[in-house]
Amino acid sequence: MLNSNGHRRETTVSRVDPALKPRLRRRSAFEYVAWIICCLLAVGILFSVSTNPNFKWHVVARYFTHETIIRGLMLTIFLTVASMVFGTLLGLVLAIMRSSSTKPIAATAGVYITLFRGTPVLVQLIFWFNIAALYPNLTIGIPFTDISTAVDVNALIAPITAALIGLTLNEAAYMAEIIRGGFAAVGKGQIEAADSLGMSGGMKMRKVIIPQAMPSIIPATGNQVIGMFKETSLVSVLGVAELLQSAQLIYARTYETIPLLIVASLWYLVMTLLLSYPQSKLEQKYSRTSSRLPRKAKKVVLTAPEGIAR
Amino acid sequence: MSTDGTIHARAIRKSFGPKLVLKDVDLDIASGEVCCIIGPSGSGKSTLLRSINGLETVDTGVLKVNGENLGYYETETAYHRLNKKQIAEQRTRIGMVFQQFNLFPNMTAQENIMAGPVLVKGAEKGAAARQAHELLASVGLAGFGDYYPAQLSGGQQQRVAIARSLAMDPEIMLFDEPTSALDPEKVGEVLAVMKELAKKGMTMVVVTHEMGFAREVADSLIFMDDGYVVERGDAREILRNPKERRTQSFLEKVL
Repeated sequence: MLNSNGHRRETTVSRVDPALKPRLRRRSAFEYVAWIICCLLAVGILFSVSTNPNFKWHVVARYFTHETIIRGLMLTIFLTVASMVFGTLLGLVLAIMRSSSTKPIAATAGVYITLFRGTPVLVQLIFWFNIAALYPNLTIGIPFTDISTAVDVNALIAPITAALIGLTLNEAAYMAEIIRGGFAAVGKGQIEAADSLGMSGGMKMRKVIIPQAMPSIIPATGNQVIGMFKETSLVSVLGVAELLQSAQLIYARTYETIPLLIVASLWYLVMTLLLSYPQSKLEQKYSRTSSRLPRKAKKVVLTAPEGIAR
Repeated sequence: MSTDGTIHARAIRKSFGPKLVLKDVDLDIASGEVCCIIGPSGSGKSTLLRSINGLETVDTGVLKVNGENLGYYETETAYHRLNKKQIAEQRTRIGMVFQQFNLFPNMTAQENIMAGPVLVKGAEKGAAARQAHELLASVGLAGFGDYYPAQLSGGQQQRVAIARSLAMDPEIMLFDEPTSALDPEKVGEVLAVMKELAKKGMTMVVVTHEMGFAREVADSLIFMDDGYVVERGDAREILRNPKERRTQSFLEKVL
């Protein structure tokens, strides 16, 4: 009844061309209810967080840019960048090995990936830290001669070295699978076309497979960077003074546990947000491969000789 | 080692698992001959064509392309696999055009055409660019060198793919249903390029459903069904009065 009333009024009063009227989205009552509940919850949480004195926001503010915290943050960034760079390089090697047609090479990579993905990274970190228990002395020398030097492994594997090795080797296994997934996404026809031109294996990899695998590898790698940034907090168990360990060092002294954990969390959050922006840009860039805008060729310079008419 | 543009096959067999897809296939294609292979889908015609380029290896039989055993060398007792480099070298002399074009999407039309000469044969870039320019013009795409495959229509992409194969200067060109993935409107432009190629005396093997093209351009015709070569001979003769009943019933439906 109401509907038909409204309908009749619209047709008589409205002067808008029916062909130009916008088509409105239907909002259900559920949507309004959900909005109200969300707002109430948000207000409640904000009120509680800001009025509970135990959060000690002044302590958070005091330590947010504390020297120890900033130094820890720098170390966290270093560990993230270094282990991602080395992990990606090693992962690329592993991915190429894994797609090799030579069985023992593919199997070696397969075993590596299984081992390093199948055990917790925390366990791996502690393992590398204690590697000296297995091999106390590392002897570097030329086989079948007396020329050699022995290195004390305990001195070699400092906490940071163990952290770097552990994170890198673990990341390599994950990157290998991401890169291999990218390779697999390149169409069979592309490889056949390269084969029919007589391209060698390495050439095919560099000129055909890797460039086309990039669009699926790059965004996933961005995700890994964000993940790695938080994963570095695990190396605090080795006593490496990265962001979390730096916070722990302070609250071990002042007993202001929660405020300092908030400081560390805020830094993780800020860095993650900063990283997600380039990550989403990368995703956009690599999803534009089928752009129809004419682009200029980048590398090839056409040497137009006289006598060739356009 | 003669580079003569001929193809000879004797009793070649090929199976995928338990399924035999080529059953004692014989083939004789002379230099400069245009041969069309027709037949229902699943009859083994694509597999035969892919075998001639080494994309599939046959199980038994003799397969000589350009006068050489393809992919193997022969001794008193057996065929031994050639190494990858030698196989790649043989392939550079056999051009292949695919149903789905398979242009490299990360390269422009010109870079696609230059890829073979520059990357495989080590040609000088300037010379390869000039050659690409001429080839693009010869397939009616002068000025399209800077376009990426995604910016070209299907017919244009297929013509670039033909130019890419021609850039390797092959003795034989193989076409695997080159017009099947195209808009009906664009079929003509690709067939025109192929006709031009046939006129220049290129040895061509074409798997196709275009009976008009077969009638007009092909010298010989092969009709395949269920892995067998059912009938082979002069193209116009077979299309006019096929001898085998299976050929007759197939042609009745497609013509």
